[in-house]
Formats: sequence, structure tokens, C-alpha cells
Amino acid sequence: MKISDLLKMGLRNLFRRKVRTILTVLGVVIGCLFIIITISIGHGMDRNFETQVKEYGSLTTINVNNYGIIYDEDGNWAGGQEQKLDKKLLEQIKAIDHVRAVTPIIRGEGELYSGKYRTGISIMAMDKDVYDDFEFPELSFGEYPTDEDNSVLIFGYYMPWEFYDEYYRSFKTVDLQKDKLIFKFYNWQYETNKRKREFTLPIKNVAKMVETKTEFDYNIYMDLDYFEKIYMQYCNTLTLEDRKKAIKVLDEYQQIKLNADNIDNVEEIQDKIKELGYQSDSLLLYLKPTIEASKTLQLIFLFLGAVSMFVSAISIANTMVMSIYERTKEIGIMKVLGCVVKDIRLLFLFEAGMIGVIGGVIGIGSSYAASFLINKYGQPLFGALMSGGMPMGEMATYSIIPIYLPLLGLGISIVVGLLSGYFPARRATKISAIEAMRTEN
Amino acid sequence: MKNNSEYIIEVKNAKKVYRMGKERILAVDDVSFSIKKGEFCCLYGASGSGKSTLLNLMAGIEKLSSGQIIIKGHNIHRMSEKGLAKFRQNTLGFVFQSYNLLNSMTALENVELPLVFKHMSVKRRRKMAREMLKNVGLADRQKHKPTEMSGGQQQRVGIARAFVSNPEIVFADEPTGNLDSKTSREVMDIIKRMAKANNQTIVMVTHDKGLTEYADRIIHIFDGKIEEIIDLKAEDKKDNEAPTGNTG
Repeated sequence: MKISDLLKMGLRNLFRRKVRTILTVLGVVIGCLFIIITISIGHGMDRNFETQVKEYGSLTTINVNNYGIIYDEDGNWAGGQEQKLDKKLLEQIKAIDHVRAVTPIIRGEGELYSGKYRTGISIMAMDKDVYDDFEFPELSFGEYPTDEDNSVLIFGYYMPWEFYDEYYRSFKTVDLQKDKLIFKFYNWQYETNKRKREFTLPIKNVAKMVETKTEFDYNIYMDLDYFEKIYMQYCNTLTLEDRKKAIKVLDEYQQIKLNADNIDNVEEIQDKIKELGYQSDSLLLYLKPTIEASKTLQLIFLFLGAVSMFVSAISIANTMVMSIYERTKEIGIMKVLGCVVKDIRLLFLFEAGMIGVIGGVIGIGSSYAASFLINKYGQPLFGALMSGGMPMGEMATYSIIPIYLPLLGLGISIVVGLLSGYFPARRATKISAIEAMRTEN
Repeated sequence: MKNNSEYIIEVKNAKKVYRMGKERILAVDDVSFSIKKGEFCCLYGASGSGKSTLLNLMAGIEKLSSGQIIIKGHNIHRMSEKGLAKFRQNTLGFVFQSYNLLNSMTALENVELPLVFKHMSVKRRRKMAREMLKNVGLADRQKHKPTEMSGGQQQRVGIARAFVSNPEIVFADEPTGNLDSKTSREVMDIIKRMAKANNQTIVMVTHDKGLTEYADRIIHIFDGKIEEIIDLKAEDKKDNEAPTGNTG
């Protein structure tokens, strides 16, 4: 038989048993719909999760603080410990597998002056080489530190705070690009050597980050080397006794920040750090229960989808078996008239596959509709299901259908159709012509 | 091989045994005969005599228990399933007692069906099918479904289907079994006329003595064996020798 005849005959047979075909197709539609919607909700969850997590920082980042909080197995607070973060620890951490980038962080507390106006700032001094690894955002002006010039002071989007004049009690917003700024370290801790001039640093090189809605917005960064340089200059203005104390600050970090090469290795690295005797923090640790809950939810959905697809496979097989019983005589006649066995098998496979195709196409159409409805009216249900809250401000999307998803749905439908049609088709070819022609229908 | 040109069908020691539970039924018992090209051969016998089984064996629809059946030099029980299907497409036509038309298809589509299996183009096969329907006098019934036609009309569609691919041999299994005597004669006339026109070989099974007169040769089957072979054509030529009494 020619392909065109095969298609014509198959479609005619499907059309002949309209009600049964429609019911079988409906089964496939539901299965396909379920699978697509399930995965689309998974994508929606992931998207929400990502936006939400980005507000806190990267999931692969691990922080070791100079005061470590100890958690028990259930994640509850169980005490704390002072942790000495020094060069030795830094090297040990660097040696851990899967650690991509490590930087110590020293916080420099000080003030910025613009004329009589002042504001307090806290500088995070980090190794400039790892800025990329920690995904530092783009700058709206200025440049990140380079080997040639590392003197830049980088402000987060909301930094610095407004400047304040205590005497006149007035605020002023400073234009970082135009106004002259002078930086001083807080000097309540140490005594200044009276014979030396007070340390002041005119800020000549500034940069500002774009808005990220993450922690970057509220921090001020500087290269670690440059920071150490200006800090040493500052220390030189102190009394001999305090100078030694002040210099020691550089030997101990406030924080060590590191980056895992993969989200899956974060826990492993944290365990290794624990073996070194240090507590560490990561966003992943906090979000793990949330991630696991949403993964479980997705698995349940996917399972439901698979079950409904399985049920529709059975239903297709049933339809095809019934159809063979009904058409036993027809098959016999076709055989006697010289129809080769292959064509009979193809005919049945085509009919089963066609049920899959029609079901898949309708399933795709209805899943787009369902996705739209979920996003529009699904807030009460899905808002509750997706724990951890929704991204602020914007309208949340619960169901996202990427372009591959309808193709996947259609593919699964066709495969289910063909698989469930295969055995009935094989059976059809085994019908003996003489037996078939004796049956009445 | 020497018989190839003369005999189109050769049946040699054909045997068919059915098993019904523990019982073995010998439906066809060591039958041998040959049929010439263009001959109208009638397998005549009472119901249960094994004549239909013999026809099915000759058509390759049923498997032989032992023996050989050679059609056009091919041992058809040695052929592969696909080869047999192709052989049926090209060489064999079938007319059935219960017509065996596909009820979902129109008369025209039913006649077209054997040509569909032969991968013929739509245009060509439609033309041939129309021609055939015209030949059997159903030119105005092309678009009718089998259920909308009388028995005689259905059988004429069946005949058109059997002859449409111009096969060398047409097997007819009680073609008039479900028809009244008047329509039977009409149907038989059509078969005879069509076969004559293209020098086709007809093998017909019947239990109706009246129909045997259409045949050139009558092979009388009784209890799975050939009781006698009556050569009507030869008799005609031999100036009407007293016809051998046809036992009923």
C-alpha cells in the first residue's frame, strides 16, 4: 500500500468509530496536559526561586565568619564560637576540592566627608581577582580595580547613605562624580600620634554598581591590597603601642568568602570546613528545605502525569484490541486480496499513532490555556504551594512553558500511541485469513 | 516442467488433516488433478465433502498437511507470506459466498482494494474499477455502500473486485450460495463471460448441480476424494456422447 492510501484508510477507520476515538484521544489529552503543566510549573518554581534567591546572593557562595553559629541536626541554633580567620586557614580552604575562588574580607569602618557633611561607611576589602567569581554586577560609572590602578572605591546602588551635617542638622545627597570626598578611618579605638598629621584619604577614583536587588546594593567595596596599603598609612599615624595592635587587624579577617564550583558541592565543602574546626554559612543551607520541598512537589506532579499517560496508553491499547476484534474479518479479507502483512501492521500502528498525535496536539493547546489560567487565577493555590514566598512587586508566574515542552509532550504522546499500538498491531498480522473470514460481523 | 504451458494448476497428492480434539478428520484425502489454462473447472460435491477446503488449499489460504500444489510453476506452500501476498495480488482473484465486501467502503472503493495493495496510482485504479463496475452492470451504484445493495448487486461488486486486476485464476467459493436462482444465473453468466473474454481460469466450488453446466470440467468430490472427473468440453467435441450420469 502506498503511504497516502495507508493514511486515508487509517483516518477513515478512526472516523468510523468517532465516539471511541474521541474518548481515547481524551485520555491522551489529559495525560499530555498533565505532563506539560507539571513541568511548566516546575519551570515556574525554578524561575521564582532564582529571582528570590538572587535577592540574597549566590547559591554557591559560602561564608566563614569570625563568629560561627553552630546548628544542631535540625538546623536549630545550638551555640556559637569565636573563629580565628587567618592566612593559614585561607590556604587550607584554598586546598579543598571544588573550591573555585576564595577571598578574605576585611571590614574597614570609617567616614566619608564632603565638606562639613559626613556619613559613616563600612568598606569590604576583597581580593579584586575574585570579583568575577562572585558575580559582581556591572558598573554605571567608573571601573573595577585593575593591576595598574586598584585605588577605586566601589559603591553599591544605594551607597553611600545621605551625608549629614551635625551642626546644621541638614542632609545632603552627594554627587559621587563631582563632589570632593575625603575618607578617614574611625579613630576611637586607637590613639593618634600627636606629632603626625591625621590620616586622610582624598577619594579620587570612584565607581558605582547598577541596581541588582541583591546584597551588592548595600555594600562598598575596595581591593584588598589597596586597603592594606591605606590601612598601613593610617597605622603609621598612630602611637607606637596602638600601631602594633592596629596592624594585627590585618592578620585576622572578619570573613572568608568562597565559591563552590557547583551547587552540588556546597555541602561537601562546608563539611570539610567543619573538619577544620570552623562553622560556615551558606544560603543553600537555609534554602535546602525549601528546595527539597519544591522538588518533592514537582516529583509528585510528574508522577501523576506519568500515571495518567500510562492510563491513556492502556486505553489506546484497549481501543486497538477492540478494533482488531471488530475488524477480524476485514483483516482476513485484506490478506486474501493480497495485502502484505507489513501494511496491516502499519495500518494499525498508524491508527494508534494518530490517536497519540491528535491527543498530543489538543493536549498542547489545552496546556497553553491551562497555563494562562493558572498564571491568572492560580495565586491562592500555587502561592501557598510554593513556600518561601514570591518575588516582590512583580506579578508571579507559576507556569512557564519553554519551547521544548510542547515538542516533548507531542513526542511522548506519539510514542505512547505507537507503543500501545504495537502489540495489537502485531496481533492483527497473526490473524489467519481463513479463520477471519469465517467470523461474522 | 513439461506441463507448465498446458496446466496452470497442478494438485499432487494433496492431503489435509484437521484435528478436532482427539479426532483426526481427513478433509482432503490424497487428491491429485490438474487444471488447464482458460478452463472453467467446477469442484462439485455435497456440503462437508471437503471441496471448499480443497479450494482454500489451492488458494494458499489454508496450509497443506502433505502433498504439493503448483500454480504457474510455483509451489505455493513453499512461498513466504510476503511472496504469497504478492502472488495473490498478481495472479489470483476471489469470489466468496458471503461476498466479503468491506462495509465501510463504497462499491467503487471495494473494487479498487486489490489495486491499492498493488501500489497503483489513484487515477489509474479508479478508472479500472469504474470500468469493471460497468462490466458487471453497476455503473450507477459506484458510491453505494454494500449495505445499501441487494445480494445480487453485492456479489457483482465481489466479481468486479475479483477480476479487476485481471488475474489469471479466479477462485469462486459457492458464489451463488446466498442468491436466488434467477440472480444466480445472472451472476454465473457474468463470471463466465468475463473469464471467456480474457481467457481466465476459473475454479468454482458448488453443491448446486444446476451450476455445473457452466463448467468445462467437473471434479466430483466425495468424502475428501475425487469420485470422478467429468470433461464436459471434451464430450462436446466428441459429438455428444451420452453424458455420464451425474451422481447427486
